[in-house]
Amino acid sequence: MIANIGYGALCITLVIAVYGIVAAIYGSQRKSPYWVDSARNAMLLTFPLLTLSVIALEILLVNGNYELDYVASVTSKSMPLYLKITALWGGQAGSLVFWTWVMSAFASAVTLRNWERDREFLPWVIVVALVTLTFFLGLIIFVENPFARVWVFGGSVIVKSMFPPAGAALFFQEDGRGLNPLLRHPGMIIHPPMLYIGFVAFVIPYAFAIAALITGRTDDRWIRITRRWTLVAWLFLSLGLLLGGRWAYDVLGWGGYWGWDPVEISALMPWLTGTAFLHSVMIQEKRGMLKHWNMVLIILTYDLVIFGTFLTRSGVLSSVHAFAQSSIGPLFFGFIGLTFVVSLSLLLNRWNELKSEAHLTSLLSREALFLLNNLLFLGILVVSFWGVIFPLLSELITGQKVTVGPPFYQRATAPLFAGLLLLMGIAPLSAWRHSTVQTLGKALWKPTIVSLFGPLIAAVFGIHYWAALLGFWLVAFVASVTFYEYGRAVIARSHSRSEPIWRAFWELAGRNRRRYGGYIIHLGVAMMGLGIIGVEMFQTETQGTIGPGQELKLGHYSISYDSIAIFDTSDGRNVARAVVNIYKDGHLVGEVYPRRDYYYESQQPMTIPGVRSTMEDDLYVILVDWKPVSTSMATFKIYHNPLVNWLWLGGLVFILGALVAAWPDRDEQTVRVKKKKESLVRSNA
Amino acid sequence: MENRKSESHTSFSKKKTIWGRIFVWGALIIFLILLALGLLRTQKGPVGVGDKTPNFTLTTFDGEQISLSSLKGKVVLINFWASWCTPCEQEAAELEMAWQSYQGSGKVIFLGVDYVDTEPEAQAYLQKYNISYPNGPDLGTRISQAFRIRGVPETYILDQNGIIQFVQIGPFRSSSQIQSVIDSFLQP
Repeated sequence: MIANIGYGALCITLVIAVYGIVAAIYGSQRKSPYWVDSARNAMLLTFPLLTLSVIALEILLVNGNYELDYVASVTSKSMPLYLKITALWGGQAGSLVFWTWVMSAFASAVTLRNWERDREFLPWVIVVALVTLTFFLGLIIFVENPFARVWVFGGSVIVKSMFPPAGAALFFQEDGRGLNPLLRHPGMIIHPPMLYIGFVAFVIPYAFAIAALITGRTDDRWIRITRRWTLVAWLFLSLGLLLGGRWAYDVLGWGGYWGWDPVEISALMPWLTGTAFLHSVMIQEKRGMLKHWNMVLIILTYDLVIFGTFLTRSGVLSSVHAFAQSSIGPLFFGFIGLTFVVSLSLLLNRWNELKSEAHLTSLLSREALFLLNNLLFLGILVVSFWGVIFPLLSELITGQKVTVGPPFYQRATAPLFAGLLLLMGIAPLSAWRHSTVQTLGKALWKPTIVSLFGPLIAAVFGIHYWAALLGFWLVAFVASVTFYEYGRAVIARSHSRSEPIWRAFWELAGRNRRRYGGYIIHLGVAMMGLGIIGVEMFQTETQGTIGPGQELKLGHYSISYDSIAIFDTSDGRNVARAVVNIYKDGHLVGEVYPRRDYYYESQQPMTIPGVRSTMEDDLYVILVDWKPVSTSMATFKIYHNPLVNWLWLGGLVFILGALVAAWPDRDEQTVRVKKKKESLVRSNA
Repeated sequence: MENRKSESHTSFSKKKTIWGRIFVWGALIIFLILLALGLLRTQKGPVGVGDKTPNFTLTTFDGEQISLSSLKGKVVLINFWASWCTPCEQEAAELEMAWQSYQGSGKVIFLGVDYVDTEPEAQAYLQKYNISYPNGPDLGTRISQAFRIRGVPETYILDQNGIIQFVQIGPFRSSSQIQSVIDSFLQP
């Protein structure tokens, strides 16, 4: 019954979405507010209906209705409640439902805004949002239905379908197979929804861009309306990427956080164009330039979102991520083709109307440096895209498949990332329109001198590798420029208004959130850079088999194997947990418990490292194997990851900065209230 | 004169625009064709349990030629790896450890197929993990294409009749995991 309600709600939503598309187009052609409003109501109605569907699926997941194939594949009786709830996005069908639900929430929220000034955008924003929604609903209803039940014919043949095939009986399973153990990690529980929300939210700026192209209103209005939405999308996408890295570090057991796998790259690509877009829209707002560029960037971002989803779900590319393959590939392919062709046609049609209102006046002006920043982001995108597409291309042309591995990406992107860091230090100090070597030099010399302490300190600690020293300088440069800029403004405000420093800091961030949020983000990036340099350039590892009391050495550290305990837990795991002491230069500094959990129901093992974590470094110990009690030997793998915690701490600062930037400006609200008051006064008069 | 100049300028920029458009559409079409071809290949699906493997000959780094058909009667473990592949490193020592326990028996053979790699790096990798079972490059990616592998590491275990009995996508977690799979095929 509940499954029928959930499925019914999905079907009704599909009909309503199709109606909404037709009504919006008709209303726009006829210039009829009646039909456009009707389309808007259709859009708004999709949210409660999809909410009903999500609630139905959640009830089924929590109740353990294992006659449903999806419920049986992602939950089991022994799973705790929170994992049953989050199993909504633990498999393909459920995550598609979650995706449409979030998308409907975003699209509904945007249609609730005040449209008085931009009425002409409304129907087309609805059309774009509903076309995307319709596509995903179609996938769920016709191909990947989470409400499909399992049926048997004569006790043997099993069929998955929503309704009973003739002569079939419902197949009740005693227990489900349970969620993949690798996904039972707090990072993995939050990582997919964050990524999905980030992906989905980019539909909003794209919808406005398309609306601007269709209606011909190509000024910067669409950018101003969607600024906050873009920042929200970008915030969630960044959070998703960070959590994914943390999950890989904690769970995958190779001491790393990023492997340049096609699945990871497919989430990075829209982030790259999105970040470039966030910077370049500022140039359009300030100078009326780069209109083509911004359109291209937002179209690319949306299409890369769809392309990335296609890559991860269709199995087209080699990946170590074992995603379930399914038949949605061809349908996705059709949708990608449609969005690319339509977007490109619209863009080319309006190409001549998107001319810049100004020209670059100085190569050192902020807009010129922002443009360079955009080119570097695009450079990284091209490298990533090329790496992902190259195996397909080489197979087509030479019949031989050639894959590029992480070294290709690392070598090709490292100088581009270094360039971005350099610009991150210079651009905030250059002026709009006109900047010369003298003005820029005057602004830069103080933080540059301070930043030289970065590589100096590194050299004192015995680091002489030039790339590492350059990296440390760049990180120090970004940090000192950021502190210098922010600090100068705080001190000036504190002096002029006699405010305490903390208050000046707070007020300043509140006054121009995008600018100061941006500085905090830059600081976060510098901290993350420190962590990345530490791991990428100075990670060391060793592996060895030792008996109780014996030691395994790695640099200044050594570990000694104390004991191992093997026991069953109430949630269906067999746990082997070793006790390992960690010594640094001969002194005991801690005890860690690397373990191996074996999940009986899914017959999958999972390695959980024991990590001794400080801001200086992580000692990451993995229990690889152990022998029965008679020999009591165990194999350990140890990684020494210097500075890695700066990556996670920097990530937190980064997200904090993004939150500050995405928060509504107080000034904006004040202006709005003031305007309202003024109009009231006028009307009273 | 000026008019003619501006006319030629306009026609030049028009031409430029047309070529630009042709380029953009061409790039999009090529991209879509590539995706379509990739998709068609994927629809075939990977080689799985119960499938018979096509015969191939692996030329090892030592120059020895090993053909799969000559290994009939033995349990064969075929491991696809690459020196650039981080997850491969996770299982490298485990594979060698498992190999050590079968080496003398004559009933089991391990083959390492080095996928899309360069020889010096591959040799360094083999040395780093002291790998002693036969390893060779997948020349022209013929072997990996026959297995339609999706990435590295991937491991296929064939029974004595050359039928695939076990597929591991991603790294093995331990040598005991590898041994338990192989031992199940060695039972009389």
